[in-house]
Amino acid sequence: MPSTNSPPGISLDALRSGDPQALAALFEAYADRIYRLALSLLHDPSAAEDIVQETFVSAITHLDRFEGRSSLGTWLYRVGYNASLDWLRRRKDEPLPPDEPGDESDAVPLPRSLVEWTLTPESRQAEGEMAAELDRAIGELSEGLRLVFLLRDVDELSTQETAEALGLTEGAVKVRLHRARLALREKLSDYFAERTPQEGEAA
Amino acid sequence: MNCQELIRYLSDYIDRSLSDELHAEAQQHLATCHNCHVVLDTTRQTIYLYRQSGRQAIPAEHRAELFARLQQSLAARKDSAS
Ligand SMILES: [Zn+2]
Repeated sequence: MPSTNSPPGISLDALRSGDPQALAALFEAYADRIYRLALSLLHDPSAAEDIVQETFVSAITHLDRFEGRSSLGTWLYRVGYNASLDWLRRRKDEPLPPDEPGDESDAVPLPRSLVEWTLTPESRQAEGEMAAELDRAIGELSEGLRLVFLLRDVDELSTQETAEALGLTEGAVKVRLHRARLALREKLSDYFAERTPQEGEAA
Repeated sequence: MNCQELIRYLSDYIDRSLSDELHAEAQQHLATCHNCHVVLDTTRQTIYLYRQSGRQAIPAEHRAELFARLQQSLAARKDSAS
């Protein structure tokens, strides 16, 4: 699987020496990704921007700690994830994400909804409503499932990169991704099946 | 392969990370089982929808300011270190 996670043409030496173009390229490649990660945990856009700032400052000033075992991008995710958890710890009213139960078992419930749905031009007309529905469905996932889905399926990191970024085993990443996909499919099915003309019905 | 096994392997099937043998078994099941085919298709659409619309970005009106703030903090740290 091709990785989208290696910053093209960003040299560590340039970043260390404070090259503004290298910094701009790194920001361009990763700021939105770190923002999404933080927003998904903190649910606070302005705090998520602070996390972006904190992540880049911390990463650039501690570049010597970056060992090059993972890609620089994966390391940024990791710094951003830890900064988000620290923010949650400082805010005592915001609980830390609980451990995800059952990472060892790959058992998943059998699908409930078996209705076909497709995205028709009509369903696309209501894009604002659809976006709200997508937000609602993913908001109902546990944090542990949501983050894995975000990194693997939205940001398109590999299983290994996601495991490194979130400090999980690759096995746990695979189990969580599978659960997240099936749970989201189930949640969206009710919404879309209603809006898809079924066989035998007038369109 | 039965339905339960197919569902267990569904993500690996989508990600093409099954062995050739299991992949072929899954394909065979999918060719004859309508329900599992629907689950596969709607799971793919679910992933596609989030990939298309789930990429929230820093609000455009804050982006330049955030980058400027980052440059300032890094410059300040450099000054205090030297
Ligand atoms: Zn089946």
